[in-house]
Amino acid sequence: MNEALLVAEGIHRSYAMGHGRLKVLRGCNLRVAAGEFVAIMGKSGSGKSTLLHILGALDVPDRGDVTFAGQPVLGARSRAGRLAVGLETALRGLQKGLFLTLKCLLLVLLVGLPLFLLIFPWLLPNVPRVLHVSLYGLAWAFGLLGGLLLVLVLLLLARLGLVHATERRRVRLRRQHFGFVFQFYHLLPELNLLENVMLPCKVGSSCWGWLRRRRAARAEAVRVLERVGLADRLKHRPSELSGGERQRAAVARALVHRPRVLFADEPTGNLDAAAGAELMDLLRELHREGQTIVLVTHDAGIAAQADRVLRLENGLLYPAEARSASKTS
Amino acid sequence: MYKLFLTFRYLRRRRIAYFAIAAVTLCTAMVLIVMSVMGGFLDQLKAKARGLLGDIIVDNRSYSGFPLYEEFIADITQWPEIVKATPVLYSFGLLRFQGTAQTNTVRVVGLRLADVYQVNAFKQSLFYEKHYPGTTTLEAQQQPLLGFDLEAEPVEVRLENGSPLQVPRPRLPAPYQAALEKSWAAGIVDDESPDSEWSVICRAAGLPTIPGVYEMVDGFGPPQMVGDFQPGLIIGRDILAKRLPDGKYQRLSYYPRGCLVTLTMLPVSEGGVFDTPVKSAFRYADDSRTGIYEIDSQHVYCDFDLLQRLLQMNQAERIDPQSGETIGAVPARCSQIQIKIAPGVEPHELARRLEKHYHSLAGDPRFASRLAPSEIQLISYIEAMTWEQSQAHIIAPVEKERQLVTILFGIISLVSFVLVLCILYMIVLQKTRDIGIIKAIGGSPGGVAAIFVVYGAAIGVVASILGTILGYYFVTYINEIQDFLTSLNPAWQVWDRSVYSFDTIPNTVRDTDMALVIAAAIAASTLGSLVAALHAGFMEPVEALRHE
Repeated sequence: MNEALLVAEGIHRSYAMGHGRLKVLRGCNLRVAAGEFVAIMGKSGSGKSTLLHILGALDVPDRGDVTFAGQPVLGARSRAGRLAVGLETALRGLQKGLFLTLKCLLLVLLVGLPLFLLIFPWLLPNVPRVLHVSLYGLAWAFGLLGGLLLVLVLLLLARLGLVHATERRRVRLRRQHFGFVFQFYHLLPELNLLENVMLPCKVGSSCWGWLRRRRAARAEAVRVLERVGLADRLKHRPSELSGGERQRAAVARALVHRPRVLFADEPTGNLDAAAGAELMDLLRELHREGQTIVLVTHDAGIAAQADRVLRLENGLLYPAEARSASKTS
Repeated sequence: MYKLFLTFRYLRRRRIAYFAIAAVTLCTAMVLIVMSVMGGFLDQLKAKARGLLGDIIVDNRSYSGFPLYEEFIADITQWPEIVKATPVLYSFGLLRFQGTAQTNTVRVVGLRLADVYQVNAFKQSLFYEKHYPGTTTLEAQQQPLLGFDLEAEPVEVRLENGSPLQVPRPRLPAPYQAALEKSWAAGIVDDESPDSEWSVICRAAGLPTIPGVYEMVDGFGPPQMVGDFQPGLIIGRDILAKRLPDGKYQRLSYYPRGCLVTLTMLPVSEGGVFDTPVKSAFRYADDSRTGIYEIDSQHVYCDFDLLQRLLQMNQAERIDPQSGETIGAVPARCSQIQIKIAPGVEPHELARRLEKHYHSLAGDPRFASRLAPSEIQLISYIEAMTWEQSQAHIIAPVEKERQLVTILFGIISLVSFVLVLCILYMIVLQKTRDIGIIKAIGGSPGGVAAIFVVYGAAIGVVASILGTILGYYFVTYINEIQDFLTSLNPAWQVWDRSVYSFDTIPNTVRDTDMALVIAAAIAASTLGSLVAALHAGFMEPVEALRHE
């Protein structure tokens, strides 16, 4: 078996329900190898989608770690490690703030002093020199106060950075390495098919960057849409497509930035049998080409098309056969 | 990149945003209109208040006046910064039109007319001087009577029953007729007075109208100059004419040009003691309209030297109270000096120098021995100020009113800020699932928030430009709009010219006001979007995707 690309260890997740908490995941462990097609089965409400969201860095577990390609998805593994990342961010912010303050002070000294000597006597010719000096002192005081305020603001930003350091890591993973296909397609109704598919490329680009790579991105989007059989529907809006076509468009959008893992959440749940079969053919084809896929479904027939099937029951993952065997015994 | 892309797509596709744009547009236009009209009102007021003043005013705020003004004027007219300086006298009096029961309390201003014409815009405020150039004088004069030119060919007029009537041509005494013909030739027409019976007849006969009111000769006699010679008096227009709602002045037939008026005044000595009242007859030479009601309804203007004599402020012998002998001369006094300065001269600094120079005159060996202690004291009170400083009591309240009204309308405009907030919040709630999708494909919290901040700012940009265009054209055509509304229903007349000093609603928009309003509208819309943007930014992607 290939080396594990995506690893989840001891994943716990619960939700507040009234005064209590509903424990959905109770310590799930999962290893997905590169190029593997894993299906997770379970009843409705068993926590399949929650697990998929945690694996895909859309959600954060209460406990447990997820690693992707050896790197932690949720930041450092240990509490001390996370604190170190946060501190590093805070120190970077502080360093920037101090440099900025020093630059401001230097500017006041180099530009402000000559300006003061030139402008104040011109502006206030009848004011005694002692008042000029006082005004200059006051300007300095305000400058220092402003600098101090700037440092405090940057400290606050650094603190926010501490909180969002892990969020940024998750955003980067979703943007570069993960692709999602949802049960309800989730295409943006205001955009046509091509625009929907190109959107992940735009998300990762600055205005300047986009100007440079928009032709390549468009070509890639057209290629993927051709691949899913929608080359003739580029300018159509989602409302003008059938369910199967929308889902294939969603697959195209998930693939356009060439993700390393494709997460599919009940991709056939909203499709008729023929459209579902067509979609599964497409996923299998992608898998054959080396795409790592994690799919959740409640349909055993769909799950059976994966390399490996896992069953989620009572918040834990079991190999489908093993659990069935244990039930039989 | 996706932020801009989605912002403009939402702006185009979400029609609810049009309501926010409409609200911000209207608020922007409203604030711009208020700022422009009030600002224009202030500018007009400043221009009018300026009319009667020089660039710099030297005054000691005392009706006793101050001495050495001739010496001071002689000194400063040598300075290159000074173009002209003229003394002015102020007093209070009672004005009575002879043959009528009308008596007014007035402020009497003594001035040298020829000098004042050079120092300020007083000449432009005179009615008869405009239509009969060169005939307005404060010197002794008789009353001109309108008569008929019996030698010229008569003109035909039609009576009310349609029958024609041959009448001789109306004619004024020679200097007045010559001046009038000059102004006719220059194309000057009287658009400040309503139609009178006489002007209708003139027009029907194909003759130019004769502006103003003249007493007529008896029968069809030639024009005449009648009555004894009396000094001329210029009277504030609101004292003798009635301002109509269309802004024109209705002159009354019993106040013809040259009619007699009497002025009763109380002289004030240099020590501030009232002496016996003095009474003098004048002839109504002209009327003045500055546009400031307080001035036009209270001021009359006569010759400086005459008023000085009447008020006993001219040079006189100084008598020793003990011995009764003449021990020198009491210098003549004036109440104010108006100064016109050369273009480009900084007035504040010059005013300081002028004030200093006047104070130094009190200690000047040339004059010190001639001055009594009370006269030196009058000089020590002298201040020199710019015309804006001297009129601050008129300008400052309007400036404050302008600020207050702008702030009030700005506060009302906060409605647009709240509306943007509500509409964007609604859009965020409607687009919750889209926010989840954007986050699922790698949109960061800051990026998602930025979509809605840019959305708010874009609403602000579009709406502020539309609002500025709307406000600009509304202000530019505000008088036409008012006239149109009044033509539909006279009760809709908002700008009643009989109430306001100005003939038209101010209709200029300043660039700075436009820039300020645009910046404020964009800032308000952007701030209004912040709540929705933060809500969108902090939304958990999983919760957003599961949103029903």
